[in-house]
Amino acid sequence: MRNRIREQRRQRGLSQAELAAALGVSRQTVISIESGRYLPSLPLAFTIARFFDLTVDKMFDPDDEDAGS
Amino acid sequence: MMTFISPRLRKPGIYALAGLLFSAAWLVQGGRLWWVSILALIGTVAGTVRLYQLGGTDTDEGDRIGSRADERQQLVSLRSRALACNLTAITSFIGLTAAVAVKGTWGWPFLVTLLITGYGYLFGLGTYTIAEEGTPDGADTRRQARPPVSS
Repeated sequence: MRNRIREQRRQRGLSQAELAAALGVSRQTVISIESGRYLPSLPLAFTIARFFDLTVDKMFDPDDEDAGS
Repeated sequence: MMTFISPRLRKPGIYALAGLLFSAAWLVQGGRLWWVSILALIGTVAGTVRLYQLGGTDTDEGDRIGSRADERQQLVSLRSRALACNLTAITSFIGLTAAVAVKGTWGWPFLVTLLITGYGYLFGLGTYTIAEEGTPDGADTRRQARPPVSS
């Protein structure tokens, strides 16, 4: 499943550690989600989407099986 | 009680407590091997300090040891525990089977371990299934009451 977290984070000039602190997760988890190795829970997916002012389906694309880049 | 203890101190604290108990057991046993309790105590102190240090690092292990694991780290920990339990059950079964085959009297610890893991699994199924399953709403209840094939 592809996601747009890395792209959105870079647009806002945030580091992975800053995003992790804002989301209340570890930096390692942000790295795992960005690379597509970990699919976040529904509450965390909503938290991420709201943080970037996007909807969940805009942030995560279920039709793309590739890892996020 | 755990909420009163700083998260970073919880796991080192549990380790220290377990180590102290183990050390005390050697001391209570007495005999010629009482000095093992000193070794156990030294190991406990060293291990506790090391765990406290690791708990402050910005790694998955550090977050777990520091009791601040997020959902992914908790999931990894849960899977690791499940794997450990599976291995324990398999090892116990092999040990019990070997004891039966050679008519050994040393098989009962394997049996106890196997029973504990088995009952633990069933207890978990019962507890978590009851906690998570919901009740069907009206439409589902009516659908279930209807015969599967209507003519």
